[in-house]
Amino acid sequence: MKTPFLTGAAIAALTVGTPAAFAASKAEVLTTYANIAEAKYEDSLITAKTLQAAIEALIATPSAEALQAAKDAWLAARVPYQQSEVFRFGNAIVDDWEGKVNAWPLDEGLIDYVDASYGGATDENAAAALNVVANPAFTLSGENIDASDITPALLEGALHEAEGVESNVATGYHAIEFLLWGQDLNGTEHGAGNRPWTDYAAGDACTNGNCDRRGAYLKAAADLLVSDLEWITAQWGSDGEARDTLLSDENAGITAMLTGMGSLSYGETAGERMRLGLMLNDPEEEHDCFSDNTHNSHYFDGLGVQNVYLGEYVRVNGELVSGPALADLVAAADADLNAELTGKLATTMLKLGRIKTAAEAGFSYDQMLEQGNAAGEALVMGGVEALVDQTRSIERVVSALDLDGVAIEGSDSLDNPTAVFE
Amino acid sequence: MRPIAPFAAALCFGLACAATAGADALTDRVVDHHILPTYTRLAQETAAFAEVAQQDCAPTSPVLEEAWGRAFDAWVAASHLRFGPSEVDNRAFAIAFWPDSRSKTPKALRSLLLDRDPVVETATEFATASIAVRGFYTLEYLLHDPDYADLGTAAYRCALIRAVSGDLSANAAAILTDWQDDFAAALQRPDQQANPRYRTDTEVHQELFKALTTGLEILADMRLGRPLGTFEQPRPNRAEAYRSGRSLRHVQIQLAALRDLARLLTAGDPALQAQLAGAFDKADRHAEALSDDPIFAGVTDPQQRFRIEALQQDVHDIKTIAATKIGPSLGVEAGFNALDGD
Repeated sequence: MKTPFLTGAAIAALTVGTPAAFAASKAEVLTTYANIAEAKYEDSLITAKTLQAAIEALIATPSAEALQAAKDAWLAARVPYQQSEVFRFGNAIVDDWEGKVNAWPLDEGLIDYVDASYGGATDENAAAALNVVANPAFTLSGENIDASDITPALLEGALHEAEGVESNVATGYHAIEFLLWGQDLNGTEHGAGNRPWTDYAAGDACTNGNCDRRGAYLKAAADLLVSDLEWITAQWGSDGEARDTLLSDENAGITAMLTGMGSLSYGETAGERMRLGLMLNDPEEEHDCFSDNTHNSHYFDGLGVQNVYLGEYVRVNGELVSGPALADLVAAADADLNAELTGKLATTMLKLGRIKTAAEAGFSYDQMLEQGNAAGEALVMGGVEALVDQTRSIERVVSALDLDGVAIEGSDSLDNPTAVFE
Repeated sequence: MRPIAPFAAALCFGLACAATAGADALTDRVVDHHILPTYTRLAQETAAFAEVAQQDCAPTSPVLEEAWGRAFDAWVAASHLRFGPSEVDNRAFAIAFWPDSRSKTPKALRSLLLDRDPVVETATEFATASIAVRGFYTLEYLLHDPDYADLGTAAYRCALIRAVSGDLSANAAAILTDWQDDFAAALQRPDQQANPRYRTDTEVHQELFKALTTGLEILADMRLGRPLGTFEQPRPNRAEAYRSGRSLRHVQIQLAALRDLARLLTAGDPALQAQLAGAFDKADRHAEALSDDPIFAGVTDPQQRFRIEALQQDVHDIKTIAATKIGPSLGVEAGFNALDGD
């Protein structure tokens, strides 16, 4: 298998790696982090290309088997990508880019047909039920849009975040997920979306209309996912901008690592993605709501945080990428704190593992969100509490490491850095 | 920073402040003069509102409206205190689910009213209902949106108003009780071993500082930032509580609450206090000047919009003082809060 990454930056990292007897340097820790980022995005790219091929096969020769193969490829592609989410917060270049590939939640009626219970346009989103697949021409923000050809340019130009509404998600994993699975109409009952393969069939066999346009949309979204992942992978390469920025200031780089770990753990996963859905008893709040893959999304997000701390990532081909780790820096500064955070990260994986185990045994994540389902609530809150608890220790690490006054910022502040550093 | 706690304690013994021996003066000030009074008022006003709702549950009743408004005011003054008892059992979310960027409240409320969902029948059952149909913002639809005035039956709407008001009062009471029984002590007595949450006074100070920065973020990014949207895409319908005309009022109440907290966090530094007072005065003046536009409808008008942007800039300026002066003076980092993420 082709592993350009291992012949480049990783070898450089290995050759400068120090024996265990010496404390890791910040520069080495940052290099391991960048190497893991590059490996995760490259794995995301490799698995996205497999998905792209499966989608092309589905469109060329539609069948139940071809649709299932595309779904399987999508699920596999999520494994490395979710582990990469820890690089979002803290690295502005990733945060600015990630909305193209993983924006969520979406008003899926923008893209294709939906059930009557979905409703139409809302206070928040006038384009919530636009249905691009069925409409070759329409108006957005007062402009006439020609959508007779569904292309990557149409998706990322006119449609994505149309009218400035974030839930107009036209591209990325979740748009593809919707086009493969369809809406999950089972509420908090067991079951995922159940789109028939005939939604891609030719001629009279086509169900729900416009199968050719639906196929064109799916193909355009897959092509865009691949090109977006190619771009971000290059940013983490040996001369990439993400790597350069990270390595240009050691304290700011370590702070970026901790910002990513803390923001993903607390505000994003524990809060926005887990607790909110539970409090609303709303399966639409599932991160992977069409495919019912949410248990894996949470699990691999948690694993990504642990990867960054321990400086270890297992690639999709089984190879281990590792090197001097943040854990080594913390152990040298405060051994007790290292033990504390290592333990809490392991506890989180245990708690997220329980959710995953139960879901894979048939108690799906949407069932856990049902009002009054005490077992489901306990499982989800177990994950939430562990994530919140590890964030406290991450804050302690920020204080314990000598970061020369570099301030932690919420991801919010990344959009407006002048507000903090005036 | 670790030596500070025992040193402060020794000082305290020397000065014979035995009543709070071992406690930290800054923490005591904030707990006694800011947090406990804020939650006491919330508990009192929500209890009063629940009592009024028992007497008079007509959505058009002026008495009910006034009691709801007073309780809502008390919540806004507490809305930056998002740690400890407010987060237990999702109490703060149940009191106030906002922003509702996916329009969950109107959808869930509509089906609740049309189905006459029996979840309102007991307080225990209602406490398990979706946060989308609990709290102040649900009541705003019932009291101020004509689309909901005739949905379902009058008897059901009355039962729902009573259920929400009782739930609000129970949550506010639980927060206050937890603070009085345990959590104030947990803040005031950090301990390396015995206190699972706070190890040192510095960790406590960081929590209190985060309450200030969280509140400033809520003000700048949500209460002002959501209706502002962008110049090309202003969002007047995202102004908080615009149905009841309370958008500006909430900004003013929160500014007052944060001014109070900032003052207590900087006691002993008159120069910094003066700088903060100047920055809050400026924000208050700009807010007062908006009294002709209580729901920020002017975001769509370039001639009016700049006034709301100026107020948002004032809040950003206060955030800058917090990040560059208050945090360093306390020796704490900004840390993480629930708003991190998307």
